[in-house]
Amino acid sequence: MKKFILSLFVFSACSFASVIGLDALGEEQIAGGMASTAGRGYAGGAKTGDAEGLSVMNPARNAFDTKVVFNVNFLLEMVDLQDHGNDFGVNNITMPSFNLSFPMGGFGAMGVALWQSYSSYVDEEVSGKQNSIETSVEYQSSVYEIVPSYTLRLPIIRNFSIGASAHVVMGNSTRKISMGPNTAELSSTDKWAAGNTEISDYVDGTWEIKNHPAYYTAALQYRGHQASFYFSYTTPHTLLNKLDYNFRMSELDTLAPTKYSREVEVPAMLATGMNFRFMKRNNVMLDVASRGWDKDIENIGGSFNMEPVTETQKDLLVAVGFQRDGSPLFYDPYLDRMTYRLGGWYKTWYVKDVYELGGSLGAGFPLGRKGTLLDLSFQGGKRFADSGRAWDEIFLGFRIGLMGVGNWGQTH
Amino acid sequence: MKKFLVVFLSLIALGLTACIFDSDETVMASWLSDQGIPSGYKVQTLSVGDLTPVSAEVFLDSAPKLANDRAVLGTTANVSHDLVFDASFYDPVFFDDLKKSDSAEAHLALRVLKPFYLSKSFPADSLPLKEDVSLKISWKLEKGASKSFVDSVAEIPDSLWLKSLTKWKPDATVDTTVSFTVSSKDTIVRIKIPSSFVSAMKKISKACRLQLRLSAPEASRTYRFYGAMSAFYPKLWVTLPETKSYSEFDPFRMAHLVSNKETCTDCAVLHGGVYDSLVVEYESAPIMKALSDFYGDEFPYAVGNGDDVRQTVVLAQMTFARDDSQGTSELGLPIQVVVGSYVDSAGKSVRKMEAYKLNKDLIASKGHPNMVFYDGDSLTLQVTYGLRDFINRARDGRTFKMMMRLGYPVLQPKDSSYSDHVTSKKDTSYVFFSHFDHARYDFSSAMKQPSTLKLWLANKRGDE
Repeated sequence: MKKFILSLFVFSACSFASVIGLDALGEEQIAGGMASTAGRGYAGGAKTGDAEGLSVMNPARNAFDTKVVFNVNFLLEMVDLQDHGNDFGVNNITMPSFNLSFPMGGFGAMGVALWQSYSSYVDEEVSGKQNSIETSVEYQSSVYEIVPSYTLRLPIIRNFSIGASAHVVMGNSTRKISMGPNTAELSSTDKWAAGNTEISDYVDGTWEIKNHPAYYTAALQYRGHQASFYFSYTTPHTLLNKLDYNFRMSELDTLAPTKYSREVEVPAMLATGMNFRFMKRNNVMLDVASRGWDKDIENIGGSFNMEPVTETQKDLLVAVGFQRDGSPLFYDPYLDRMTYRLGGWYKTWYVKDVYELGGSLGAGFPLGRKGTLLDLSFQGGKRFADSGRAWDEIFLGFRIGLMGVGNWGQTH
Repeated sequence: MKKFLVVFLSLIALGLTACIFDSDETVMASWLSDQGIPSGYKVQTLSVGDLTPVSAEVFLDSAPKLANDRAVLGTTANVSHDLVFDASFYDPVFFDDLKKSDSAEAHLALRVLKPFYLSKSFPADSLPLKEDVSLKISWKLEKGASKSFVDSVAEIPDSLWLKSLTKWKPDATVDTTVSFTVSSKDTIVRIKIPSSFVSAMKKISKACRLQLRLSAPEASRTYRFYGAMSAFYPKLWVTLPETKSYSEFDPFRMAHLVSNKETCTDCAVLHGGVYDSLVVEYESAPIMKALSDFYGDEFPYAVGNGDDVRQTVVLAQMTFARDDSQGTSELGLPIQVVVGSYVDSAGKSVRKMEAYKLNKDLIASKGHPNMVFYDGDSLTLQVTYGLRDFINRARDGRTFKMMMRLGYPVLQPKDSSYSDHVTSKKDTSYVFFSHFDHARYDFSSAMKQPSTLKLWLANKRGDE
């Protein structure tokens, strides 16, 4: 167990692999980044069941759960950046979310999630052209959210539930660009002074919400015999990124940093979805979510010829998926007890002229008789960057989710 | 659990495999370029001329220092060097005999610092040194009764002892004249201590502490001796001719006290071998204006809290006019000028000694630019740390402040290693002479003439 926990920490030290929007917010971890949801193409926000667990998009869903669900997710993503026939690869491992949901019968259900909603990560270096010092670029930014939620089935119309969640934002961001001198403008008698002096452009900061402890999501869920729907609304909010800019020779420099705070105005999000169940355990689902970004995002930037802002566009997710639920009977054949998933999505990023097409396959493997489930999903797709400085990205992702299901507090 | 482990380990293996893929550096560089990240920060130079200091203040060294290794006695370059010996001893039998003696004598023997006088760098025609030196000998005697008294004296921290010497109130002072002879054969200077000192010692019964001070304010030069903790430590002994016996009371520590006799209070004079320092301040406006003109925008740039980090100083040099004719030195060697500057540390201004980056081409052709008593008419000192801190915080109008001090004599002014080193032939190449020159250098005229600041600036501003 200790080794497992250690592994979790090691993985959580890393982050996503996409390098689009590095200087803005980074990559969004859609729908909480759960392996089970990702396996069906990020669709299925409306899908209910005994142990569906928490959805950060739809906090009303787990009102219909009857079992306690704990779920932790890992992601290994490999990205190949492409531009005019050139390409290079980056990859990383991360842990995008933990989720715990706790049904309380007639008292509704509570839940809490730890969700790395946006992050940027890159750690690369190349040999210097003008000197022997490597140019290195390191980004590590994570917007983490702790998301407590509560949901309740309505008293009379029991097929409906309402839910709400608060998103308490925290996180940190660092950027370090190190390089040697370019002495091209110096006369030959002056070059000695620059030598091979390495300088780092180092920025570090923290994330929080401006003037408020959290932002909120409210949702309404309908569970029908075959069809289920949800609708959710997430409040707009302003993320505050307090930054210290340093241009330094070493970490021991005591130079005064430029302290500057950038604000990212995140618009409201509307999300809806439906799930249609047929032949008992087969489901097709469709989800749509959108954020109407209307203001540019001020970049960390501040250095060299980096863009001062990231232009935005309407952020839209359209996800379709299929899931065949596994049999709950432990004496059924193992293949019948497994869950099978298939899905695809189209997403326009918040970064202007960037959109993403992806597909996924997934499966859930029951472990033992106690309801523990191992979810695996394999994703692939392409992010198209039609303008700006971003390159196209072909990505492959492997997600693994560990789901523990229990009947805590239930006597029958 | 086995299934889980298999899957888990497989994913780790997959991750590691993915990490092995190497990226094409050329393509990576292209991506970096697309992101607006260059492969090197731009370095530019800026010269700011006609800088005159708003203040140039000399801080004369007057703090007593330990002289346990090397000791200096005498007067030169308007600085007088005194020595104080601290000794304590317990010998009731000897003191009984001393009381009975009518012809007891006390002597102090000092061993001259042979590595200095016999060095090739010491002017060959200077030895032998012969002089009748007028000495002031003063002392403080404290009576004790036991061995523990001796121990208690030894336990007095050096720092407290040195502090006590700033208020020297002797029991007695006597003047005497001693013939000093230093040559390759005469390496001991013997000082007979006048009889009043012996009389004072006769009042001791069992134990005492003796603090003995030698001053030679009329001496024509300084004399260098070994200190109390060296192999050739000074010896104080009292002889009793009646019993043909003697007792030796060797000091266990020594102190070096300097007194400055410069009469010109406005002069920017530094002395070698002591910690005199010249602190020079420049107002910020001319430097800020030059930076503003250079970058073509307001400097510092008003963003955030106003500290501007879009550029930093890679190297900074301040060049002064130099006129060695107003200085004197003992050895005739070039002397390095040591530099410090003042930087912010948690809101407090602290002095930081500067590093020295070597311009090897210049050094090989003309020698180090940071020396006095050398060819040329300028003195160039590197003040990188200070300027780096200064331009980063200069929005508050602070002055740029630097400090200079005379350092060691330089034996190889054109050696760019700038430190003693072992050559390829396994010989030690000494760049510096390891003994200070008690020189005097007057920077007054240099401070009155304009100096030039040259900055090498690293820039992270984008292309305008």
